[in-house]
Amino acid sequence: MLVAAVRRRAWWILLGVVLFAAAAFLPFVTTPFYVRVGQLVLLSSALGLAWTLLGGFAGYWSFGNSAFIGLGAFAAGIFEVELMKGQPWLGFALGLLLGAAISGLAASVVAWPILRLRGIYFAVAMLGISQVLAELNNNIDIFKGSMGLVLPRLSAFGLRPEALYFYLLLIATILITILAFAIQHSRIGAGLMAIREDEDTARMLGVPTERYKVTMFIASAALTGALGVIYAHSLGYITTSSVYRTEFSLNMIVYNLLGGIGTLIGPFLGSAIMVILTQVVLGRLLSIHMFVTGALLVLLVLVAPKGITGLVRALRQRWSAR
Amino acid sequence: MLALQTIADGLVLGGLYALSAVGFSLIFGVMGVVNLSHGALVMVGAYLAWFFWHALGLDPLVTIPVVMLCLGAFGYVYQRGLIQLAVDRSSHVASMLVTFGVALMLRNTLVLVFSPDLRSITPSYSGHPLLLGGIVIDPVRLAALGASLVLLGALALILNRSRMGRVIRATAQQELAARLCGVNAHHVYGLTFAVAAAFAGAAGAILGIVLPFSPPDEGLWTMNAFVVVTLGGVGSPQGALLGGLLLGVMATGTSQLIGPAFPNAMMFAVLVAMLLIRPSGLLGNAFAGSR
Repeated sequence: MLVAAVRRRAWWILLGVVLFAAAAFLPFVTTPFYVRVGQLVLLSSALGLAWTLLGGFAGYWSFGNSAFIGLGAFAAGIFEVELMKGQPWLGFALGLLLGAAISGLAASVVAWPILRLRGIYFAVAMLGISQVLAELNNNIDIFKGSMGLVLPRLSAFGLRPEALYFYLLLIATILITILAFAIQHSRIGAGLMAIREDEDTARMLGVPTERYKVTMFIASAALTGALGVIYAHSLGYITTSSVYRTEFSLNMIVYNLLGGIGTLIGPFLGSAIMVILTQVVLGRLLSIHMFVTGALLVLLVLVAPKGITGLVRALRQRWSAR
Repeated sequence: MLALQTIADGLVLGGLYALSAVGFSLIFGVMGVVNLSHGALVMVGAYLAWFFWHALGLDPLVTIPVVMLCLGAFGYVYQRGLIQLAVDRSSHVASMLVTFGVALMLRNTLVLVFSPDLRSITPSYSGHPLLLGGIVIDPVRLAALGASLVLLGALALILNRSRMGRVIRATAQQELAARLCGVNAHHVYGLTFAVAAAFAGAAGAILGIVLPFSPPDEGLWTMNAFVVVTLGGVGSPQGALLGGLLLGVMATGTSQLIGPAFPNAMMFAVLVAMLLIRPSGLLGNAFAGSR
């Protein structure tokens, strides 16, 4: 299945490889500000991809994935600060694994009850869970959520920090893209799409819906947790409010919606457009920043409810019908 | 005595929670839309009441009808112009994003017009606490609780006894059947949204005399409405009242017994637990889409 899918999409994959390779030269040709914008585009795309594993493929829209960013960031942060003094890279590598493991573990604990809910109820329950975790992180002293944590500084090959994190995020994004592609074109991917279209029918036809949903929920959470660890390091100093941000949860949905839900290019298109628009174009209009973001959201749902890929598909169909 | 005082404080807060959530509950129950801009409507109500008090010296309890009219008109246009379009073109979950976008726009507008500073309304009768059988009660809070209960009762009457209420309930039960009987469903949705927004505005006006407020609070009030509705049950003033009072007592009880930092964590934990155990709420009947 996978080999056939790779063959069918050879041109797209080639384009992806070329684009990723081109992105690798970005830190050499632009200013630090644009490298940071690139960082944010990569982070958002990767988060969007991790979200889409469950949200796009299976149709379970989580409104609380920022919980896993926070869990990953704080698990790794506390571990590295307390136990890994003086070994920043080893600490980072182990922290990455730990962050993913803790997020995945938390997801596996809540998965069974919470995945019984559907539609808006699942969305709301995830939102609730992320709020509970944020409040606990902020108010229980051993987590240091309100005081904040200073993470060990990483450095390698004499790269400037923003370039270093750009490359780390680039590697993470590439790995997640490959993983998402493999999942999409495997048996479990087909099962997830059956769940999205009609869960009861899928189950009746013998798709192990519960197992697929739980697996994807945990995978999505673990990847989000690992991204949270990288994000925390790129910030250098984290508090509850800098990693447990509801904004993150909503952005993951918005980027997917803008690009096209259930596709792999969707999150890339969506986050590139939104990040460049909000950071570069609107960066100077801070007082109406929120207003414009809100208006964009409204327009997006009304004008292109299926995202850019959906719009392109509709236009192409109209052309070929002529 | 401490327990009684805690419960009394909780009930006062709970009345406000109930009133601020009833519109959210109505919209969710009747059209299945989760209105994330509900808290923003509450804040608009609070700022309108503050404006009347600050500029004209009018008591917030007196200006409630005006605030309700303004927000009701806004709600009707908002539903017919935006939300219905989003539901028709996309899905209910996507309409959630539209309401979130509107919440951001309203919050930004409030900051631009009224500044991000903390505001509060202090009517003449505030600051003279009454002692009732050993329990201290602020007359302002008593007035707030009274006004909330009266408004909730009025809404229950409208929904259960008037023609408009009957039409709204019929459309909530089955849109198609209601339309076959000659109901203009889109108009009814608009009206429902108008009523909901009006009650959000009233809650805002009352909120203004009880607590200080600022534009970013809108998120908190949306969340409160969420919890109240999942606790009490969707679509009825009775459910909102029960959920609101329970939540109020729970909030004050948690800060008394566990610590002042924990009411929010407690609230959301209860929210998640309720969704898992009984998604339709204590008094709720399962509306379409809960499963």
